[in-house]
Amino acid sequence: MEDERVVELISALADGLIGVPEAKQQITMTDEESRQITPLFQLAEQLHQAMQPVQPSAAFVHSLGKELVDNARRQAALSRRLRRAVLIGAAAVGSLLSIASVVGAIIFVIVRWRERAHASTAQAPTG
Amino acid sequence: MHEESDSTLIARAKDDPEAFGLLYERYVGRIYNYIYYRTGNHHDAEDLTARTFYRALKHFSRYVDRGAPFSAYLYRIAHNIVANWHRDTGRRQIVAIDGLMLTTRERDEPATMAERVEEQEVLLRAVRKLPPERQQLLILKLVEQMSNAEIAEVMERTEGAIKSLYHRTLVALRDELADEGK
Repeated sequence: MEDERVVELISALADGLIGVPEAKQQITMTDEESRQITPLFQLAEQLHQAMQPVQPSAAFVHSLGKELVDNARRQAALSRRLRRAVLIGAAAVGSLLSIASVVGAIIFVIVRWRERAHASTAQAPTG
Repeated sequence: MHEESDSTLIARAKDDPEAFGLLYERYVGRIYNYIYYRTGNHHDAEDLTARTFYRALKHFSRYVDRGAPFSAYLYRIAHNIVANWHRDTGRRQIVAIDGLMLTTRERDEPATMAERVEEQEVLLRAVRKLPPERQQLLILKLVEQMSNAEIAEVMERTEGAIKSLYHRTLVALRDELADEGK
């Protein structure tokens, strides 16, 4: 028997085991295949029976849920504060740059004005 | 009432902590189940479930919804956390008797019940000797009853690879049990 065929059959049986209805309809096998696959399927059935879903306690679910939401709130508040701080910082830097450029421009104008005044004094006829 | 999709909740949860709470409520049971069968006891299952969701929350701002189920993201975190737990502690896994008792029939005679519990203990011990990815596959398939396509997304493999791994897992388990029986 081809390995691929076994893999497909075992997979279809597993789907049938967990309640996929169409899975069971797909399963047709020869006696030889059935003889080879049955032990593995029985093992899967035993596993399915042994591995029943368990439930966490309601108290645990409730308290962890509350902690997580509180934590998410703190995280959101922190990131909002961080965003605000970055925004304020950027605005402050922008303002400082604006002031600096205005001051620079004023100094530049004064320097140019003085230079021009000095040059015109030097060029003026003396006698 | 119409239940919000995972994608809607994920988008909302970026700014709304309550939405993260809803995602938590939707998946806490499944993640707990997964961790319980990987650790074998409720105490560690609670501890590691909490760690899983705290880690998910911590990295949530970087989570990008690409259409894969949100559960896949949580299972991957849980898988890594359980792997670290096994590595760090080197603890022997405990077979949880309280869980096993649930699967015995109430009508069974005490002797039959004890025998059944013993059989299930042997079986679960053998499961816990399997490599982590094979344990993960059995839990997702038989406990969570997920389809091969869903398992493939969680384990980042193809459906064909999942089917093949399932077959190899059963064969390995059968051999392990046969060795124990010798």
